[in-house]
Amino acid sequence: MPIRFDGAVARFEGACTVEEALPLSEWLAATADARLDLAGCTELHTAVLQVLMSARRPVEAGPADAFLSRWVFPSPVPGEGGARGGAAGG
Amino acid sequence: MSELFDQFLIESRELLDGVGAGLLRLERTLDDKPTVNELFRAFHTLKGATALFDWPAFTHLVHAAEDLLSAVRAGEVAVTPDLIDRLFAVADQSARWVDHIETHQDLPADAGEHARRLEERLRAAPEEEGTAAGTDLPDAFGWLTTLSHEERAALRAALPPGGTLTAVAYDPDPECFFNGDDPLAFCRRIPRLALLRIEPVEPLPGPEALDPYRCLLRFRAVSAAPAADVAPVFRTAPDQVRLAPVPATLLGAPAPKPTPAAPMVVGAADMAEAILGEQRRILTLDATPAELEGRIASVARAASNVLAALGRGDEAAGVQAAAEAAHAVGRPGPLANHLATLLVAVTAAAVGAPPAEPAETRTARRALRVEPERVDRLLALVGELAVAKNRLPSLVRMAEGGDARALPRLLREVYEAVGGLSDELQDAVLRLRMLPLSTALQPLPRLVRDLSLRLGKRIELQVSGERTEADKDVLDVLGEPLIHLVRNAVDHGIEMPERRAAAGKPETGTIRIDARQDKDSVIVEISDDGGGIDPAAVRRKAVENGVIDAARAASLSDAEALPLILLPGVSTASAVTDLSGRGVGMDAVRTAVEMAGGRVEIASDLGQGTRVRLILPLTMVITPVMVVEAADGLFGIPTAAVAEVAKVPATDIRRLKHAESVVLRDRLVPVFRLRRLLDLPDGEGGAATATVLVLNLEREPVGLVVDGIRERLDAVLKPLSGVLATLRGYSGTAELGDGRLLPVINLRELL
Repeated sequence: MPIRFDGAVARFEGACTVEEALPLSEWLAATADARLDLAGCTELHTAVLQVLMSARRPVEAGPADAFLSRWVFPSPVPGEGGARGGAAGG
Repeated sequence: MSELFDQFLIESRELLDGVGAGLLRLERTLDDKPTVNELFRAFHTLKGATALFDWPAFTHLVHAAEDLLSAVRAGEVAVTPDLIDRLFAVADQSARWVDHIETHQDLPADAGEHARRLEERLRAAPEEEGTAAGTDLPDAFGWLTTLSHEERAALRAALPPGGTLTAVAYDPDPECFFNGDDPLAFCRRIPRLALLRIEPVEPLPGPEALDPYRCLLRFRAVSAAPAADVAPVFRTAPDQVRLAPVPATLLGAPAPKPTPAAPMVVGAADMAEAILGEQRRILTLDATPAELEGRIASVARAASNVLAALGRGDEAAGVQAAAEAAHAVGRPGPLANHLATLLVAVTAAAVGAPPAEPAETRTARRALRVEPERVDRLLALVGELAVAKNRLPSLVRMAEGGDARALPRLLREVYEAVGGLSDELQDAVLRLRMLPLSTALQPLPRLVRDLSLRLGKRIELQVSGERTEADKDVLDVLGEPLIHLVRNAVDHGIEMPERRAAAGKPETGTIRIDARQDKDSVIVEISDDGGGIDPAAVRRKAVENGVIDAARAASLSDAEALPLILLPGVSTASAVTDLSGRGVGMDAVRTAVEMAGGRVEIASDLGQGTRVRLILPLTMVITPVMVVEAADGLFGIPTAAVAEVAKVPATDIRRLKHAESVVLRDRLVPVFRLRRLLDLPDGEGGAATATVLVLNLEREPVGLVVDGIRERLDAVLKPLSGVLATLRGYSGTAELGDGRLLPVINLRELL
């Protein structure tokens, strides 16, 4: 499936759809030192984004996709940041 | 009620189905004149039908649709996608009313209000609609005053010469995921996006407390495109988005004010409470008299919408009255007070009303329409049966009169004639229940249209073999799985146009549905040319969820691994479909099909597409069974195999070495005990009489000892599934009147 759980790293690949949201949030809740690799992510469902925003886990590699990298994950996020920048503007 | 009433239900549903199909055709070819005519006639006929009853709201609404189509026919109004949307809205509303009328014999109380709103929408030119939405609630754009330096600079750079920027305030419905909406995907499609902010509506809890299926985000965006180009992106969620031009002054001046804290939003009632509270706050803001007037109107509108969403639409009149009072005194007081009262009422009724059912879940009762030829055939067979019957009295006379030599031959002749007729009659009756598959396929084109619009995909649905026939019950079983599979194909199969183009595929994806009959089965194949299913991912999921172990998974070929997706716990789509409110995943598709005695096959080429084949029996096979008891359990025995039931003294069953036998009518009959055959505990102890079923299996009768006989039952046999499928000796299960499952014994295997 589009999200692969590789040790403490969740690797996002291709289009991550709404059905990834629940397994992802369960995994994030259970994995204290989780990190995210969004490099291969081409589409991200709002539900999945919301889970990421709620978890605020470090992003190891930002998405290559133009829309996601510009508006949703503007830069690889340090430390405790979560999905900052555009995604946490308010 | 009356025959006229029943006729109305059938006829109006057929007309509305025709309208739906016609609108889909029109959407493909906007200048399809014959279809415009057909739609005009359909609405005209529907108007006539509703006028027979006293439902003025219904009649007015379809009349308005008829007027609009008449203007289209005259060339005064052009067919646009927007016009088609508006006509769809009328058709959907009409369908809901027909459903309501069927159960309540009358229109719902809010019909007049709905009709009025839809009629206004029909009459409004599309541009008017756009501006109306654009000027609604400017307060949603307070965030524009809080832009950072860099953001303002970016917007200035994006500003088209001589043009304006369009601000977008998009507050998705918290339940929007259940409609298949993906707000972020909408934002991706905003043309010439110059700014996007994604904000939580409330502080997000950690992942362990978050409900991932409620949308808690809102979106604030600025586009360099005009509002008319931005609005179509939100076509399916027009009520959740507001557009406004960005005032030029904002781009220069710094902004001191922070935005007020976002209201807490939890349930539907809480949401309503938050909105009403916010509207009340808006009323207290300073405003010029002109601004106040607009504000009162927009607050009243918002409050009415909230009430409608809570199923309290009838209270909207009170809001209107309060708004008029506020308007009359030139102060917001009366409306603000009324909102305060409503707030109390809404909070008191905090158990949120269930959201309105979407039109697509409508399952109208399937009317059985029988072709006259089939009834004629039935009549002819009944005639032949009467002829065969008339031969019997002469045979009786022959038997009484003594000369009975020819009797056996003649009896056999009559028996064969009656036997043949009874088979033909059974066939003819089953054929009465046969309906074309098109009745089950009918909702799919609309489903594909609406879903693909929402998702921004381009999809063509091709259907063939819709005239293939199957039993009415089989079609009923087929409906849900078909919807689910097509939804899957749209949602997960077909890729976004850009990705398809990148993969060298045509941007428009294709979903094919092929139905055909093969001997005693109906085969329905749903195929798409989308991304396919990754067998490696299926294996991984199956291992993760403990369905099979890793070694076994590794040993499976791709073709063998793929069907794992049909098992519970592997079906990755279950979450999605729970979302769409159907509660079926791939495993439920399989269960439904197997319950009807069918099976599911799946094949997929990664990158090329997926093919799911449903194989269903042509008719639901009904097997009469006898329910027997053994060791406190109930079992079914096919009645056809039972020649006789005998009660014999237990001592009459004699044992010779390991075999037992009993003498019945001077014949030695070998006897088996059901308890032993099924490995159940023996101990029937000292029962004085034994119940023996005499079974005609092969040439010799065989006795089967059971503890007792309960009842006879006409059962639809369902094959065993899962682990049970490996059990031998059972041909399936039937459902007892109290819902318990009755295992039905396969005598040939058991004995």
